[in-house]
Amino acid sequence: MATAYYEFYRGSSIGMALTDSLDELITSGAITPQLAMKVLQQFDKSLADTMVKSVKTKTNLKGHLHTYRLCDDVWTFIVKDASFKMDGNDIVRAPKVKIIACKNGDAIEAGKKS
Amino acid sequence: MSFALPARQVTFGGRSQYQPPQQYPQGSQQQQQQQQQQQPAHGLALPTGANLSLPGPSSLALPGPGPVTAHPTYQSTLPTPQIPQPKSYPPSQSPPTTSQNAVAGPSTPAPMQMPATPVPLTLEQQHITAVEGIVPTLQNIVATVNLDCRLDLKTIALHARNAEYNPKRFAAVIMRIRDPKTTALIFASGKMVVTGAKSEDDSRLASRKYARIVQKLGFDAKFSEFKIQNIVGSCDVKFPIRLEGLAYSHGQFSSYEPELFPGLIYRMIKPKVVLLIFVSGKIVLTGAKVREEIYTAFNTIYTVLCEFRKP
Repeated sequence: MATAYYEFYRGSSIGMALTDSLDELITSGAITPQLAMKVLQQFDKSLADTMVKSVKTKTNLKGHLHTYRLCDDVWTFIVKDASFKMDGNDIVRAPKVKIIACKNGDAIEAGKKS
Repeated sequence: MSFALPARQVTFGGRSQYQPPQQYPQGSQQQQQQQQQQQPAHGLALPTGANLSLPGPSSLALPGPGPVTAHPTYQSTLPTPQIPQPKSYPPSQSPPTTSQNAVAGPSTPAPMQMPATPVPLTLEQQHITAVEGIVPTLQNIVATVNLDCRLDLKTIALHARNAEYNPKRFAAVIMRIRDPKTTALIFASGKMVVTGAKSEDDSRLASRKYARIVQKLGFDAKFSEFKIQNIVGSCDVKFPIRLEGLAYSHGQFSSYEPELFPGLIYRMIKPKVVLLIFVSGKIVLTGAKVREEIYTAFNTIYTVLCEFRKP
């Protein structure tokens, strides 16, 4: 079911590019808006799955957890004095980071079953 | 009627003057009689002096928990009651020098500006509690409050900080504050459970803070029916214990199944406190409603533990 996936990847640069292209195709009459919607829904699903299966990059985050919240299966964290340790051993620091974490595709399905 | 173990009377000065702390207004007389009756049966093998089971100097040098070492520990081992009797200490809030913060019972209204950190024991409390300079440390206090108002948990979870709400798992908002470091379970009925406080005052202060947070979110929350439901304490008698022997001779109260749990579970009846006793000499006391029950239970068990000290 397509609605099981979050649409927030549409805001990423690859998502924006896809949306622009679809817009262009609709304007030129090459595809119908319904088909464009279907493509976007598939994009949501594919990107969520890809993030789980193919992305192996890891980052360590350290800092002071100032606030956390769990509501509607969405975690929100505000971390102060955060330092990210990337794979290439380079460290990125930030005085305040807000993390919003949602369940991805598989976890949503798992949550429905339980 | 249950029997009461002989308490370690020397702590309280002379036995005849001993009265248990105020939580047994009617039962104290009875308990005292029982103790006197039990004393021959149990007391024969027991040293009546505080130091008989321990070499004198070492017991003096035993490092007690923080606040105790600040004062001479020999007071707890004095054979004669040279110290004012502690029996009336809960009402003795009149002396301005003694800080009574730490003994505020559940019914004592605590002002909001109480310090959030545990208050060191007063000298009077030490007389009551210190056995060989050991005072159980309070580790956890669980209290309940009725906010007396229906709550929309989702609103609370969305707007309060440090809140978790996962209705699929648990039908309450789990909220934490840092000072006093506690956790609250807030239910839609308006009932709230506050855990994790280390003192009665902290528990009350934390509960008030949670009530205030809920109020600030727009609910008509009150602060009513605050009640401490459980107090947990722990301490270390600093000598190993023969749990099998203890389980055998106190079978009525003991449950020792080392294959299930390494500690001996001792269900004391008066005061009604459960103790987990470990070979190492570490003790956990739980099930008390007031702090004095922890102290009384420890004083009572200490005599028994000395008897089952590992050679």
